[in-house]
Amino acid sequence: MQGASPRLTGFLLLAPALVFLIAFYLVPLGTMVEESLRSAPNDMDPRAGLHLFQYDRVWNSGRSWRALERTVRISAISTLLTLLVAYPIALFLFQVRAFWRTAILITIFVSLASSLIVRNYGWLVTLADAGPVNQLLLALGIADEPLRMVYSEGATIVALVHYALPFMILPIYGALTRIPPSFVEAAQSLGAGPWRALFGTVLPLSMPGIFGGTTLTFAICMSAFVTPLMLGSPATAMISQVAAEQFLVQLNFPFGSAMIVALTLVTFAILLAYTLLIRAVFRHHA
Amino acid sequence: MPDAKGFRIVVATLALLGLAFLVFPVIFTGVVAFGGSIFIEFPPQSLSLRWFENIGRINRIWDATITSLYIGLITAALATAMGAAAALALVRSPLPGKAMLTSLLLSPIALPIVAIGIALIQFFILLGMAFTWWSLVIGHLVLVIAYPVRTVAAALTLSNPSLEEAGASLGASPWQVFRTVTLPQMAPGLVSGFLFAFLISFDNYPISVFLVRGELTTLPIELFNYISQNLDPTPAAFSSAYVAVVAALILLAERRWRIISLSIPR
Repeated sequence: MQGASPRLTGFLLLAPALVFLIAFYLVPLGTMVEESLRSAPNDMDPRAGLHLFQYDRVWNSGRSWRALERTVRISAISTLLTLLVAYPIALFLFQVRAFWRTAILITIFVSLASSLIVRNYGWLVTLADAGPVNQLLLALGIADEPLRMVYSEGATIVALVHYALPFMILPIYGALTRIPPSFVEAAQSLGAGPWRALFGTVLPLSMPGIFGGTTLTFAICMSAFVTPLMLGSPATAMISQVAAEQFLVQLNFPFGSAMIVALTLVTFAILLAYTLLIRAVFRHHA
Repeated sequence: MPDAKGFRIVVATLALLGLAFLVFPVIFTGVVAFGGSIFIEFPPQSLSLRWFENIGRINRIWDATITSLYIGLITAALATAMGAAAALALVRSPLPGKAMLTSLLLSPIALPIVAIGIALIQFFILLGMAFTWWSLVIGHLVLVIAYPVRTVAAALTLSNPSLEEAGASLGASPWQVFRTVTLPQMAPGLVSGFLFAFLISFDNYPISVFLVRGELTTLPIELFNYISQNLDPTPAAFSSAYVAVVAALILLAERRWRIISLSIPR
């Protein structure tokens, strides 16, 4: 900015967003953490003190612990599957003409921008008892009678992969566009076959995109709420659902808050370990 | 990229399977929407438009749609204004602690999404303003403000700041420089930021479910309730219409402002 004091202008421009987020984001989050350190609902007596009673319950109550464990497992599987589906699509964008590349990118964007409830409903239809997948299985003779696929952990994973796919394709495609074509040509002219060039040159150079995409996908899956609600069952509940029950049904705010804080901490811890691992592997290679 | 016939065929096959996975649920939903049976049936044995007519029977669908439209537009407008100003400061002003400020502004999308609803409902109950229209706008705003920050920052980073210096050195006032040089540079970021902020607010369930009660309701809440209580294909008809409108909006924004190139991380 060309004003008298660029720094003051900067602060004034930043102030509305900053004040808003402090008042309606940081302070409420602080309140939630404080609530999670109380022993019982409506325990407003400050003399009662703050303690880790609710966190002890998250770890030791069967339902919340199993839900947390299931959340981590579903997220890890979904992230891996999303990567496997996304990478060939990102590579394919380099094989097609500009028109088709734009068409595919627009399709990915429309998918990204379509309502999550609408997309999950698409899977309720696709995997329904009389739905197209069952018709195909019957026609091919793989199944003798329609399979019950909806309201399961598998259906939840399929819908999560579908939801996360754009978030994986775009960073990988972005990373691939930054690889100088001469690198790949050099590898191939030195006698590397296309697969060797892919795994030896392209894949390591696209690592920033893979890292960005997997991190984002894992975080999205860890906080999944609507998808397991629509495609899973109470027996396959993820932790956000169990926490939400504490707010909407049980009215036990401290316990629900503790679950969400625990989910946040577990997510950050796993992503931190993942970041350190990737960094260590990279340094080792370089 | 690696080049050899066999390689290209394998990549193309896997990619087309992946794209089919992405597109088919939408296509199946569209087909089912035109079926005549009261249950989901594929392929439909008879054709009818009754499920499109039935959209109006979804409980409080018009109220909920109007509320979601208003909340989405107000949220997107506020998010774009505050987010664009913040992005301008972060990209162009000499500020201390930029990295920390940026992560604060972008952090709401990294947090478990129900955390925002859960934290806000406790906070609004303390303040005595729970279950109001504004509490819903605030909840959505916390989530979506990151999108315009990102897209406007991307637009500004891709543009050339020396154009602004040229304008200033040729005697333009700061306001003239902003209006004629900076604002047009920000335009694609403003459009895609607004569009995504609106679509995410319009579609939000995990925050709204904690903040609505009684008369106050939104479209995703009513759509979700309908799907969990009914098995007929009315939501399929609704979904097809929804995807058609979103596709039209994205095509329009891409034609006019090239929003897609902006959203590929660099």
